[in-house]
Amino acid sequence: MGLDFVGQGAGETDGNIITTTIDKVVNWGRKNSLWPMPFGTACCAIEMMATLASKFDLSRFGSEAIRFSPRQSDLLIVSGRISIKMMPVLKRIYDQMPDPKWVISMGACASCGGVFDTYTLIQGVDQFIPVDVYIPGCPPRPEDLIDGVLQVQQKIASGASPKGVEAVYE
Amino acid sequence: MSEENQVEEQPKPLILQKLEANHADALLAHDETRGTVVVVVRKEQAYAVLEYLKTDPELAYTFLVDVTAVDNSQMESELMQFDYARFMVVYQLYSYQGQCRARVKVPVHESDLNIPSVTSLWQGANWLERETYDMFGINFEGHPDLRRILMPDDFEGHPLRKDYPLRGRGERERFNFDKQNV
Ligand code: SF4
Repeated sequence: MGLDFVGQGAGETDGNIITTTIDKVVNWGRKNSLWPMPFGTACCAIEMMATLASKFDLSRFGSEAIRFSPRQSDLLIVSGRISIKMMPVLKRIYDQMPDPKWVISMGACASCGGVFDTYTLIQGVDQFIPVDVYIPGCPPRPEDLIDGVLQVQQKIASGASPKGVEAVYE
Repeated sequence: MSEENQVEEQPKPLILQKLEANHADALLAHDETRGTVVVVVRKEQAYAVLEYLKTDPELAYTFLVDVTAVDNSQMESELMQFDYARFMVVYQLYSYQGQCRARVKVPVHESDLNIPSVTSLWQGANWLERETYDMFGINFEGHPDLRRILMPDDFEGHPLRKDYPLRGRGERERFNFDKQNV
């Protein structure tokens, strides 16, 4: 976290003063309290629910506050197939989320269309919204989703911008 | 010899007895599969037959389970049987009274895709017929609101027809995301 303890000598302040940078503190807070917006449209959402429930318990990683309003969340989990008729809805929800925001594309369907190479399915949501972390699998196990959330946490801790912000400044 | 006897012992299902007595001219064929009686009915009399099946106090097929269609354009054997009618509109019925199911099939030619709507018999047919219209382009006459139900409103074509390519005709790429009313 980039913490430095100051006051090495003998005295009252010994080890009691911590210096850091504001970015690091803020990122540390963000990373440990991600509020996910679940966008579950198919079977992957079942695994997402399992991840949130007590057996796998995503709250161990600070992400249990599921928000069904995009305006209160900063992590969009796209889990399931997105059809051409659903894509404008997803795009609108992404746009409504406040910055900084991260996106997880969960499962083969959200990432590349999966086995559904058909007339109506979006072949990868990253054609329309910026995706930070892709989770492979059909469906990915809850452990995989937890790993994806941890990857997002790592990304936040490293100080990297979300894909969406990068796309704006490119 | 014994097999023949067994066949003879089977009583004719009530629905067939009654249909043969009252709507014999409408019946094109009948069959039985896994306890479900399947009747193929002329389009002109389809509405009358369905109404009869619903309102007859002994049959009372009061529950319309599903309306769908089948595109037989690549099933030569099926096509030949019913005067090269491309589509087969299928009604699944259930009778709570008799605890039994029935399937009514109606051949529809591609040259005339109109068929009477059964929304006046079963309110629940509304969305089922809209779906069949959306997927196969069957035109249900007298339907109160025959619009697409699954595909976007400006979609062209009917995707469950066998000549519709699996990957579409470029709708995925052409789709206008900004125009859609979200
Ligand atoms: S990736 Fe598999 S489990 Fe996930 S939505 Fe697609 S088909 Fe369902």
